[in-house]
Amino acid sequence: MDNILELNHLSVSFHTAQGEVEAVRNVSLTLKKGEVLALVGESGCGKSVLCKSVMKLLPPNAFVKNGSIVAAGEDITQFSEERMRCLRGTRFSMVFQDPMLSLNPTIPIGKQIMEMICLHRKVGRQTARQQALQLLYLVGLEEPEQRFSLQPHYFSGGMRQRCVLAIALAAQPQMLFADEPTTALDVTMQAQIIDLLRDIQKKLQLSIVFISHDLGVVARIANRVAIMYAGKIVEIGTAEDIFYDPRHPYTWGLLRALPSFVPRGGRLHNIPGMPPSLLHPPQGDAFAVRNAYAMKIDYEKMPPFYKISDTHSAATWLLDARAPYIRRPELLHGESRESIG
Amino acid sequence: MLRYIGKKIGIFVIFMGLLSMFVFILARLAPGDPLLSFYGEGVERMSTEEHLAARQRLGLDETLPVQYIRWVDNAVHGDFGISYKYKQPASVILMALLGNTLLLGTVAYVSVFVLAVLLAVFCTLYEDTWVDRIICKMGTIVYYLPPFWLGLLLILLFSVNLHWLPSGGAYDTGRSNDLLNRLQHMILPLMVMVTSHLWYYTYMIRNKLLDEVRRDYVLLAKAKGMSGYSIVWHHCLRNVAPSITSIMAISITHILSGTYVVEAVFAYPGIGALSIESAKYHDYNLLMLVVLITGALVILSSLLAQTINECLDPRMRSEGDSIWQKMKTL
Ligand SMILES: Nc1ncnc2c1ncn2[C@@H]1O[C@H](COP(=O)(O)OP(=O)(O)OP(=O)(O)O)[C@@H](O)[C@H]1O
Ligand SMILES: [Mg+2]
Repeated sequence: MDNILELNHLSVSFHTAQGEVEAVRNVSLTLKKGEVLALVGESGCGKSVLCKSVMKLLPPNAFVKNGSIVAAGEDITQFSEERMRCLRGTRFSMVFQDPMLSLNPTIPIGKQIMEMICLHRKVGRQTARQQALQLLYLVGLEEPEQRFSLQPHYFSGGMRQRCVLAIALAAQPQMLFADEPTTALDVTMQAQIIDLLRDIQKKLQLSIVFISHDLGVVARIANRVAIMYAGKIVEIGTAEDIFYDPRHPYTWGLLRALPSFVPRGGRLHNIPGMPPSLLHPPQGDAFAVRNAYAMKIDYEKMPPFYKISDTHSAATWLLDARAPYIRRPELLHGESRESIG
Repeated sequence: MLRYIGKKIGIFVIFMGLLSMFVFILARLAPGDPLLSFYGEGVERMSTEEHLAARQRLGLDETLPVQYIRWVDNAVHGDFGISYKYKQPASVILMALLGNTLLLGTVAYVSVFVLAVLLAVFCTLYEDTWVDRIICKMGTIVYYLPPFWLGLLLILLFSVNLHWLPSGGAYDTGRSNDLLNRLQHMILPLMVMVTSHLWYYTYMIRNKLLDEVRRDYVLLAKAKGMSGYSIVWHHCLRNVAPSITSIMAISITHILSGTYVVEAVFAYPGIGALSIESAKYHDYNLLMLVVLITGALVILSSLLAQTINECLDPRMRSEGDSIWQKMKTL
């Protein structure tokens, strides 16, 4: 089995008092074994909802409207809560955005890890303790023995995120959803955690879905990148495809908004405007109103996916044979080009 | 720390002093003759001289301030006078009945909170289902059912009609050490106390738990593969334990006052029933003692509640300190 996760035309919505919020719209993607897929997009575009819908961690007002989720060859779309409980932690687990909030403040770190081990494996307390210590070594927590029975508030954000990672890895999951694991941390900490995640991924041959709204962070870790906008994937390809040959105007915008990609003395770009509300998403291309290159058809009809290469496709009318040729704005310059890779 | 304890003791002493003065005066202002409870019907046949002499013997002929000071002087030395009705030291009478009240109160208190926590966990897991809604509404419904009415209803059903349970008392005569017999007598009073207090506390604990299950760590626990039940039981309940403790501390007086009402309905020989009786018979010394004991319980429990809440107050919470370390900083 090559694909550890397959999403086929997945749509997830929320029932709210205002109406149906279409948070994820017709998303298809695959995650291969041992691969890091980055999911990139602005806040509110449905990245977290996408991951949580795979693990069925969404609140009760959410529902899978359409499509299927296949994890390790098994269609889990209709799985009951009981069956999901056995898969959570072993087939997939998750690292959340804010390590300050995702640990229970009153329970010692070690116990929170042991809890996970005991839940999924029939081991004694001593073995579980030993394994939990090994995990803490693995995630690079210093002096794990001394810190084993401390509550989370003795730990810095970076240390807590390492502990959360240890919990996520405790039952040897096949895939890991890392939902903006570094957003709440300072820059040096971010780099450390990303490197750690990459090392662990290599060591354990883990498959990771890495969520971020920062392409700069993604460049350090991802094999493949999916760009999301307003609940849809608009461009997907290998890291090289996305960074060296982006085709969607939204990807251009994201790249131009990166500080490190701006030429010396150049101005930092912003994508003008706001993402549309997912309550009543526009019928055409959701990005059209913010797109300087938008054509009439963008407002009327959703663009299909155009295949650029075997690994690379994008959903924009600009790729249609009938569209006028548009020269892509300069994105990458001199030294910053070398920093990718 | 010492200053803190000193302050609390000071509050306690001042409160008890004021209470005793207040009750002392109020009891003697009420119309009626205390001699009636001491000598019974015989009082009516007494001559004026005999009457005066009797008053003198009981120390009732002096002015109020003198009587009060004498009472305080004796009380400080452990002598609370004799009960006019029972012709025994008031403290002996009280001690005999205090145990009954404390037993009933404690059992009621523990059962209310054990059940409240269990129901609250249940409601949290089944949030917004019809069961949850009914349990939450119960508080409002029960609020309109007076406990004495409920008590009479239960007596009618279980004692009069079904003959399952005794209608009153704390034990059958001569079986005061028979625990089973005592429990039988406690069932109906307990039912009234639990039904009238349970829902409110369930609702409060449920709301605390619902705040807790919205927090992020619950999502992580769920992502670990834990069941909803064990998340609430092992994670959330532990985190709301401080709030439950402070609710429990505040509720001591509330449940104690419930005991008094229930004792009256079920003729349960406790200090609740005793206080009504002693007020009725102008049994001054006994009344004083009952009121003071009740007052002491009330103020002690509210001081306890205050202390607990102060320790749990986030403004006083420095990270990682134990409660004792926190108290030292006060
Ligand atoms: N419980 C909910 N009820 C209704 N709508 C929701 C709910 N949770 C999320 N949404 C909607 O789903 C959309 C996607 O949210 P999501 O959390 O996936 O965004 P995100 O891409 O992870 O953003 P961020 O970078 O801020 O984490 C949002 O527009 C939001 O309005
Ligand atoms: Mg998110």
